[in-house]
Amino acid sequence: MTLSIIAQMTVSGSLMGLVYALIAYGFQLTYATSKSVNFGQGELVMVSAFVSLTLITLGLPYWLVVLGGLFFGALLGLFVERAGVRLALEQRSEGWILLTIILGLLFFSVAENVWGRDDRPFPTPISQQPIHILAVDVTPVELSVAVGVFAIMGAIEIFKRQTLLGKAFDAVSADRDAGELMGISATQTVKLSYALSGVVAAVAGILVSPITTVGPTMASALVLKAFSVAVVAGLESGFGVVVVGMFLGALESIASFYLGSGWREAPGLVLLILALAIRPTGVFGKTLIRKV
Amino acid sequence: MQKFLAILVTFGLSAPALAADSLKLAITGPFSGGSAPMGVSMRDGAKLAINEINSKGGITVGKAKLKIEVIERDDEAKNERGALIAQELASMPDISGVIGSVNTGVVMAGDRHLEEKGITKIITPAAGSASMTQWVGKAQDLPIFRFAAHDGIQASMVVEEAIKRNFKKVAIFHDATNYGVSGRDDLMNQIKKQGDKLQVVATEKFNIGDKDMTAQLLRAKQGGAEAILIWAIGPELAAVANGKAKMGLQAPLIGGWTLSMSNFIDNAGKNGNGALMPQTFIEDPITPKAKSFIEAYHKTYGVTRIPSAVSAAQGYDAVYLFAAAVKQAGSGDTKKIKAALEDLKEP
Repeated sequence: MTLSIIAQMTVSGSLMGLVYALIAYGFQLTYATSKSVNFGQGELVMVSAFVSLTLITLGLPYWLVVLGGLFFGALLGLFVERAGVRLALEQRSEGWILLTIILGLLFFSVAENVWGRDDRPFPTPISQQPIHILAVDVTPVELSVAVGVFAIMGAIEIFKRQTLLGKAFDAVSADRDAGELMGISATQTVKLSYALSGVVAAVAGILVSPITTVGPTMASALVLKAFSVAVVAGLESGFGVVVVGMFLGALESIASFYLGSGWREAPGLVLLILALAIRPTGVFGKTLIRKV
Repeated sequence: MQKFLAILVTFGLSAPALAADSLKLAITGPFSGGSAPMGVSMRDGAKLAINEINSKGGITVGKAKLKIEVIERDDEAKNERGALIAQELASMPDISGVIGSVNTGVVMAGDRHLEEKGITKIITPAAGSASMTQWVGKAQDLPIFRFAAHDGIQASMVVEEAIKRNFKKVAIFHDATNYGVSGRDDLMNQIKKQGDKLQVVATEKFNIGDKDMTAQLLRAKQGGAEAILIWAIGPELAAVANGKAKMGLQAPLIGGWTLSMSNFIDNAGKNGNGALMPQTFIEDPITPKAKSFIEAYHKTYGVTRIPSAVSAAQGYDAVYLFAAAVKQAGSGDTKKIKAALEDLKEP
């Protein structure tokens, strides 16, 4: 019984952890090219989920809803880049921190006014009936989270490695100035990274909504954990966020079972503090050598 | 200058005259957020009654007729908002009464201010026992009335039902709000009172906004709970029902009337089937009066389902109760209304 409980908590926790990983991956994408992150990433997740919900209520088929949601996510990402990040980066200031937070608050109020403050169910064609695998119950919806997360992350990683545009992405990440000298437009690459980051946020929103319902505050808890994951894993490693995300999710579930549900958030915070104290570049991060 | 003064004087004189043919009734409650189905239904039910009264010219007081003027405030189910609103209402000099509040915590945070000023309040549909028991031994001339099947009664029915269905082991689930905690205490008391026939194998709480109830449900499952006695509101009830279905846990939910809230029914879908609860009003035209009320509600607000039928009916009835008290008191004075409510002759 105890073993099956631990197995159950680990599985459902780590599946949830994959959502943290996906949001954290959104931070990584923009950090790689521009050394900036969108602090309003959670609101991107939420607004994209609401837009997808609206598309569903309009009666569109599910695949079109997903496409529409992703497209809207990309647009939002581009908007954040244009309105909040580009000018600050051009002036080499840290203004993007405040601006992305403010944009996040703006999205939040817009969502509250357009869609209301209530949590709403997110219909999905994927079954919610649990399947029983080796003493562990999972629903197809939860499994779809895993499939979706790996699919989108895999697609983006292949894109980065196999296409010319993707190589440009890597080049700017490695050295912005050298990339510019080679004829790669850093601005365009940063734009691309924000669009991709928006797409990733939209995927996270569409995947998690059937489980958590859609509401203006749906992403605030998620994004906090995604931050922990990004910092603990390091802001470079895509593989790292997946591992740390799943680990954190499982740890949370197990803690909430054995210590009580009030302690759910505690392991993540402890992990975050430990990581910052022992390995500030993250468990999977490269040690940064800054030549002066 | 003289003209200006004259205008001032006319205004000064006309103001009381205006006030004399209407009285101010405040309606407070959560009109947004997780408790909104109750708040909105209560408000709309109350306004339905107010419109009916006003369209007949108002409440007959002596020879005149008083129209009801509504003051609406959204407390967002937040205790601190509730306190602020109560302060604001308490400082209005000519307010006749307050109807409302859904959340026990909001009632507990706010009513103190109304009580200090002696403003008559009818609490509906908040049901947490603590919203009335907080006054025990504290206030002598309490102007607060409650118009709802309070949790003491509901908890006793819930426990009775569990015993009747031959359950031996139960788990108690509740949210961490004042409503949930006071509900848990009521359930515990009732179990003891009804002969300790139920063994509580797990007592679990969760916060407003929690979506994942796996840990709590697993502990209930491990303890062998045959039923879950639950005290919470719509969204979290739905989360528990969904988690239960995911785990294949068969134990039915037995709880307060919040299990009929629209956001429980919508978010839980078919996972919500089989939940048991006591109700004081159901959206079913079983009497002519209920039929006309339901039809009027549907027509006025353009809906086919009342988000929380109990709240709507109680809001509606509370206004008529208030109007009857005004009529008997023969005035819109809040202290006289209170005296009338304590000694209501009709209906």
